[in-house]
Amino acid sequence: MTLDAATRWDIIDKISKETIAFGKYRHTLTDAIGELTVKPGTGIPIAIAILYGFWSIFGSFAGFFTDGFFVRIFDEYWLVWLQGVFPGQGGWLYAIMVDAGGIQSGQFIPSDNCLEAFGVLTSGIFVAIGVVLPAILIFYFMLALLEDIGYMPRLAVLIDTLLHKIGLHGYAIVPTILSLGCNVPGVTATRILETKKQRFIMMTLLAIFIPCGAQIGIMEDVVPGLMGWIMLYLLIGYFIFGFVLNKIVPGEAPEFLIDVPPYRKPLVSNIFKKVWGRLVGFFKVALPFVLLGCAIVGILYMLEVIDWLAVVLSPIFIGWFGVPAETAGPLIAAFLRKDLAVAQLSTIEMTEYQMITAVVLVSIYFPCVATFAMMLKEGWKELLAALAVLAVVVFLYGGLIHVIGILLGVA
Amino acid sequence: MNVLLMGHPNVGKSVFFNRLTGASVTESNYPGTTIDYTKGYMRIGGKSVELIDVPGTFSLNPKDKAEEVAVAMLHESKDVKVICVIDASKIERGLYLALEIIEQGYPVVIALNMWDVAGDKNITININDLSRILGVAVVATTAISGEGIKELVTSLDDARPVEIDNIINNVGGLT
Repeated sequence: MTLDAATRWDIIDKISKETIAFGKYRHTLTDAIGELTVKPGTGIPIAIAILYGFWSIFGSFAGFFTDGFFVRIFDEYWLVWLQGVFPGQGGWLYAIMVDAGGIQSGQFIPSDNCLEAFGVLTSGIFVAIGVVLPAILIFYFMLALLEDIGYMPRLAVLIDTLLHKIGLHGYAIVPTILSLGCNVPGVTATRILETKKQRFIMMTLLAIFIPCGAQIGIMEDVVPGLMGWIMLYLLIGYFIFGFVLNKIVPGEAPEFLIDVPPYRKPLVSNIFKKVWGRLVGFFKVALPFVLLGCAIVGILYMLEVIDWLAVVLSPIFIGWFGVPAETAGPLIAAFLRKDLAVAQLSTIEMTEYQMITAVVLVSIYFPCVATFAMMLKEGWKELLAALAVLAVVVFLYGGLIHVIGILLGVA
Repeated sequence: MNVLLMGHPNVGKSVFFNRLTGASVTESNYPGTTIDYTKGYMRIGGKSVELIDVPGTFSLNPKDKAEEVAVAMLHESKDVKVICVIDASKIERGLYLALEIIEQGYPVVIALNMWDVAGDKNITININDLSRILGVAVVATTAISGEGIKELVTSLDDARPVEIDNIINNVGGLT
């Protein structure tokens, strides 16, 4: 037999009277901190401080290990050693695996660093281990800390009003922040949103505008001075196109109800377990694609496919987006791994503003293959619609960034 | 036999799951950490039993996709027993979900989790009376430190479906 809600509450009321005694509740320090971090007046400054802290720790930790440690090991020992022992210098296998040596110029010149060598064993391993590993290690450590303390729901409450403007609600901050680590769990986390409309908007915005931890890590390494501009363009895009999607996608965007849990002391064992699990998961997905991406782009260069594409697409690249035609190569790599694509962009000769535009294009132009597969799992209709939105966004936003550059007199 | 871990979001279901199966599904302090189910195996009295970590749900009327997964898990599993995990410091609304599951004829044991937090909030619960009224095993637990886990698992063996009329009689009828 099933009951209606009122009857259930009636029973619970009676059970409660017989078995539960609520004593006097003391207001604790944890409660006070909880309130300070959720009231807008104090909560917003605290949130800004926390996110800024997150960002600077991320940058300095990743920079310390990459520049101070891995760059030296890889450039001075690993690359030099491989160049010496790998047979067949100048041959095709050598070019793909170790060093393509100024492949654009058509003449073999040994590279002196792992970013420009373009080889699977050099650039590929360096990007994955030397750059991305420290970045995602510190990212996931701090994310786990915020998660286990119980800060995420408070951030959700604070940002609720803003996210309603783009058809979402505060809790959309959870998939957004998860996506900053990797878009794959971010796409899965869209399931906590109530309606199809919200899930579609969220998934599309994540796939287009949220760079993953690996990509942020490599950007910090190769274009640190331009980070602010790139992130600003992505953030503005997130809101502009979210606002437009909210207007044109049919469906409802309901208010959300959330339980804000009390702050809890994180368990060190749980933090480490989570960081470890996410690192392992990341490398299972990422490492094969980084290496594969490296090999594919290397082969396409050798077959002169990239040069051909660059010529064919040059009106769009040069005329519409205002970036060098060689950007075609990294854009192909970007489908496999965005981190690899940014690394390859950094070796192309261009102005600062072109670099900003090119990195933004790499971010927004297509989700990486792992994210693509995950979106397909959530529904092929949504995936097709998201790709249609994406094509329009890349074209419009890429052009807009070019126009802004022209107006600012830098493009 | 299958055992489902069900309860509101953020009551500690995944912590139970990891403790009972030795798995490492993600545990966090926010509602909505688990969005899909995870299966694992635990041992009860020498038998291997499938344990399923179900996304949190407030009731059996789903309101988002993660909750749909939860309700579908319950309805599609055969020969199933439910560990209903309740946040002891918010016991009343947890009982609502427990009642819904009991009404549908599933054998239930109740874990009053975060027992330590309820103590800090000066909430006292008479577990024996609660267990007598509901006719199901009720165990005080603090999953994160492992308290009560063994008793909970032992009580699963004797879990039987309960007639909701008995519960109504035990509270002295409806108003």
